[in-house]
Amino acid sequence: MSRVSIKGKNFLGFEIEIKGSERESIFKEIESLLAVSSQYMKNSIITLKLDDTNKHLAEEIVSFLKDKEIFISAVVSESKKGLDINLPIIELSDLHLVNETSEKEVSTFKGNLRSGQSIKANGDLVITGNVNSNSYIYATGNIFVLGKLYGVPHAGYGGDNDAIIFAFDLNPPQIRIGDYITRSPEENVLLKKRDSVVPEVAHVEDGVIVITPYDEWINSK
Amino acid sequence: MAGKVLTITSGKGGVGKSTTTANLALGLALLGKKVVAIDLDIGLRNLDMILGLENRIVYDVVNVVEKTCKIKQALIKDKRTDNLYLIAAAQTRDKSAVKAEQVIELTDELKKEFDFILLDSPAGIEGGFRNAMLPADEVIIVTTPEISAVRDADRVIGILEANNKKEMNLIINRVNPTLVKKGDMMSKDDVLQVLSIPLIGIVPEDENIVSYTNIGEPSILHPNSQSGRAYKNIVQRILGKDVPFMEIIEKKGFFEKIISFFKE
Repeated sequence: MSRVSIKGKNFLGFEIEIKGSERESIFKEIESLLAVSSQYMKNSIITLKLDDTNKHLAEEIVSFLKDKEIFISAVVSESKKGLDINLPIIELSDLHLVNETSEKEVSTFKGNLRSGQSIKANGDLVITGNVNSNSYIYATGNIFVLGKLYGVPHAGYGGDNDAIIFAFDLNPPQIRIGDYITRSPEENVLLKKRDSVVPEVAHVEDGVIVITPYDEWINSK
Repeated sequence: MAGKVLTITSGKGGVGKSTTTANLALGLALLGKKVVAIDLDIGLRNLDMILGLENRIVYDVVNVVEKTCKIKQALIKDKRTDNLYLIAAAQTRDKSAVKAEQVIELTDELKKEFDFILLDSPAGIEGGFRNAMLPADEVIIVTTPEISAVRDADRVIGILEANNKKEMNLIINRVNPTLVKKGDMMSKDDVLQVLSIPLIGIVPEDENIVSYTNIGEPSILHPNSQSGRAYKNIVQRILGKDVPFMEIIEKKGFFEKIISFFKE
């Protein structure tokens, strides 16, 4: 069994971690993960983490991702031994020294969150689905909704005012980030006719929660 | 072959669960299926009236599960077809009079003789709802295109998903094309985007439903009724046939018809 997972390491960076050596299932899993997440991974710094059993596939995986427009900046592995690739290699022991305190947990929820349901996550929270009205999501870190966000999100739950909320369709009745709270304009979301929907990011700026289209937000960083 | 248990539920009250149950039960029976409809809205029974059978109730579902009568004695035969039976709800008791295990025992017994067992669920998400959910092979969720109804349906779907009920289908009831066109009512697509479960029927608003209910003749018996035709299509889909969804169009007055004729 092989496992592929994507972890958010910091605001702009992601790590694709691959465990196990089953060639076919690795590529299959990468493919299906990218189907939902390649959108938000573009423009990011991405590293690839391999274990000893799949090191020899490094080159193949990197070029496979390249075809999907995912560009790997560095490869992370236990040791450099046996890794034959034209990319910077980071040994795990180095990484721990740098990253020990800043590494966050990422939880993923697959499916739709429906009215009356709620999720609490330690660290970042990724939801691959819609968050419907009257549901609640809490994360001590950032919240990423790869779908519609119509429920109430609370990012930075516990006081992190630097947390952000991303959604392909950001339309909650309230947004809570850290110690801040704001509510939507008084109009009905479901009946509102909108010409186009763009991915947006909610974040705190000068003590107010602001919503910025993702394109603008990423360029302002 | 064992019968199939279909539960009709909604979350919100008053969106047309019992009317839907009555129409689907009658529709399936008229196509030759052996059907029993069970009203689980104990204390607030309605299904008997919608089917026009209220004067025939002797024993009800509480009598059956408490074993004060045999199942056969509580089966009320429909006056139009030999294929449809009703087990009425008790009006003098409340939802706590029946337990989920008892309902399962009852449906297991009825499965031996009937092709379809339709359970009319009470509104809400409390005990009565649980009684109707647990025995279900398939759940039909009824909603109107009102936001409050859609949210309650969403809640119900969430509970069902959490309990691993995978077979779910949606009926959107009382769609008013004029209001949708004006943007004052959620369209079919708006509703489906929120609920994201398969659609099995769209039923247009039909002012005659009230009178059909009052005289105990479900609209499926009326060939000219728009809602009756919609229910007939749903029955076909339950039986596994692929029927296109009918276009719900605005009813035009005589003069509007003439005007639009000249416009064309």
